[in-house]
Amino acid sequence: MTAVTLETSTAAAPSRGPRGLLWAMLRLHCSALWFWALLMAVGVGTLLWAYGPGADAAWAEYRKVGCGGTAADLGCDFTVPAYSRYDTAVGIGAGILGLVPFLAAAWAGGALIGRELESGTAQLAWTQSVSPARWLAAKLAVPAALLTAGSLVLTLLHRMLWSSDGVLRMAMTSREWHHGITFQANGTLATAYALLGLAVGVLVGLLQRRTLPGLAIATAAQMALMAVTVALRPHLWPVETLTDKDEYPPFIGMVVGDGALTSTGARIEDPICVDNAKCLAEHDIVGFYRDYHPSSHFWPLQLVETGIVLAVAGLAVLAAFRLLNRRTGAAV
Amino acid sequence: MSTALPATAAPTTGRPPRGPRGLTWTVLRLHRTALIVWCLALAAATAVLIWMYAIGDEARRGMSGCATPATDGLPSCAAVDAITADETYSAFLGLITTSLSYVIFPVAAWAGGALIGRELESGTARLAWTQSVTPARWLAAKLAAPAVVLTAGTGGLLLVNLWARQDDDPNLVGDWYLPDVFLATGPTAVAYPLAGLALGALAGLLWRRALPAAGVGFAVTLALYNVLERYRDRLWPTATRSEQGEFELPRSAWQQDWDITWGRYPGEGTPVSTSATFHPRSHYWPLQYVETGIVLAVAAAATLAAFRLLRRRMP
Repeated sequence: MTAVTLETSTAAAPSRGPRGLLWAMLRLHCSALWFWALLMAVGVGTLLWAYGPGADAAWAEYRKVGCGGTAADLGCDFTVPAYSRYDTAVGIGAGILGLVPFLAAAWAGGALIGRELESGTAQLAWTQSVSPARWLAAKLAVPAALLTAGSLVLTLLHRMLWSSDGVLRMAMTSREWHHGITFQANGTLATAYALLGLAVGVLVGLLQRRTLPGLAIATAAQMALMAVTVALRPHLWPVETLTDKDEYPPFIGMVVGDGALTSTGARIEDPICVDNAKCLAEHDIVGFYRDYHPSSHFWPLQLVETGIVLAVAGLAVLAAFRLLNRRTGAAV
Repeated sequence: MSTALPATAAPTTGRPPRGPRGLTWTVLRLHRTALIVWCLALAAATAVLIWMYAIGDEARRGMSGCATPATDGLPSCAAVDAITADETYSAFLGLITTSLSYVIFPVAAWAGGALIGRELESGTARLAWTQSVTPARWLAAKLAAPAVVLTAGTGGLLLVNLWARQDDDPNLVGDWYLPDVFLATGPTAVAYPLAGLALGALAGLLWRRALPAAGVGFAVTLALYNVLERYRDRLWPTATRSEQGEFELPRSAWQQDWDITWGRYPGEGTPVSTSATFHPRSHYWPLQYVETGIVLAVAAAATLAAFRLLRRRMP
């Protein structure tokens, strides 16, 4: 960190490229930056391969086994090699997006904050011309910008694939819009969770002030937070309801719940009478309902969850700044 | 790393203290947080599995055939559907099974970061070597104590898991060829974490810094896990079945390839012939043994490389 102040105070002409805190950040976490670039290259490469040759091979094979004709039955429900390769490639792209929040939390808790506080390099930086608040702001802003850029690129590529492989995907029934990783990779959530990982990691790093416990606890905290928000997901937007007199309505979209209806319109737990008329009359059952989210709820669900995740991330950042301020307030 | 203290203090008291001593004691004492976390995780998993065994019979009743109204031999559908134990049973057994197949990842990150990388980074390893401990013995203790703890833990949990799964009904506990089920029901469950330990330790010795070693250990095991998952079906020759017309394989067969020869009009009517390659249930043990062998070979190679590296660096 000394290099920064020396350079800016003694050099007459400002040097080119990033300077000051930004330069220090990029220099210090050079290997993380390379890793991020490599991860993005792998993700982009895999998704582009799937979009081009991968999809072509899957289509050729799909037609070869006789699916897509008039009688789509035998073998069409079985994942064939070329399609499974295609599916693996898409899975790797989406999987990288799913892994990023945990990597961000682990890195932020360990390398970004925990190590600096453990080894004392943070305190050294604060004795230079860098205030603790500006130090933390740089620590947050630079990774946040890189995480956002990378995640958005992968999300856009994943959306491009999603809009082009509809028929193939439906025939193989391998992925649905509401499946966990697919849901996140198709919208703003992948980016929001990556930013949450960064914020959680920074807060845990400041609390723990040690490298390895910071890493472990940040990862565990991110897992716990994500388990909660994923469990809340179906309840973040009003559901649509299908009703039917004699049997259950079709099973479509993200199903939230189902049961039986009485003549007063009350919802009760299905006593499973099936076709027993006496049993149905006894329980006063006149129909059945099913609550679900159609695919048109994708964006409302996506945006509400993104809002919640970003709000939690914002709270974590606020807590981090207040903690740092309280801890260093006396010294400054 | 004040290891030498109990060892030198022992003679003065006249009799050796009870429990583990010397290097083993140091390793356990230094990594007591990890040891406590491991024991708590094992205890929680065992408790869940015992609970699953207790509701196992009811879960099986919840999956049985039914009739409305109840007829001879078949319970009424209302009674069967009212049973929710089968969902609880599936969900919790699935959670334990997946967790057991993922133990390799935290083990590798811990071995690279906390076990080896941090000691070399902070210099406590060199301090230990100036005591009466040679580098080779130091590494041996670092590997042996966690290996014993890991083997005992995963082996015990594996047996409890098999006991809780009872008759392996695929509707309740998943088919044998699902990646996590395969890795949590055989000797691979014990072999994988050991490979994680060895690879993590090697990463720690190579990088000599806590965080990069933890990251590299995690990445290497992630690669190993995915490569073996991808090529698992090739670890033993598949069986082939070809017939005129069409046929279906039983659910217990792990289908690999499916080839249909159509007549003049593809997709219409009955195909001329069908050929399928698959792994029958009887290939479970050969596949397990080959994969366990590969994973243990990786662990042995990593351990050997770690000792050679240490010796070359410390003449």
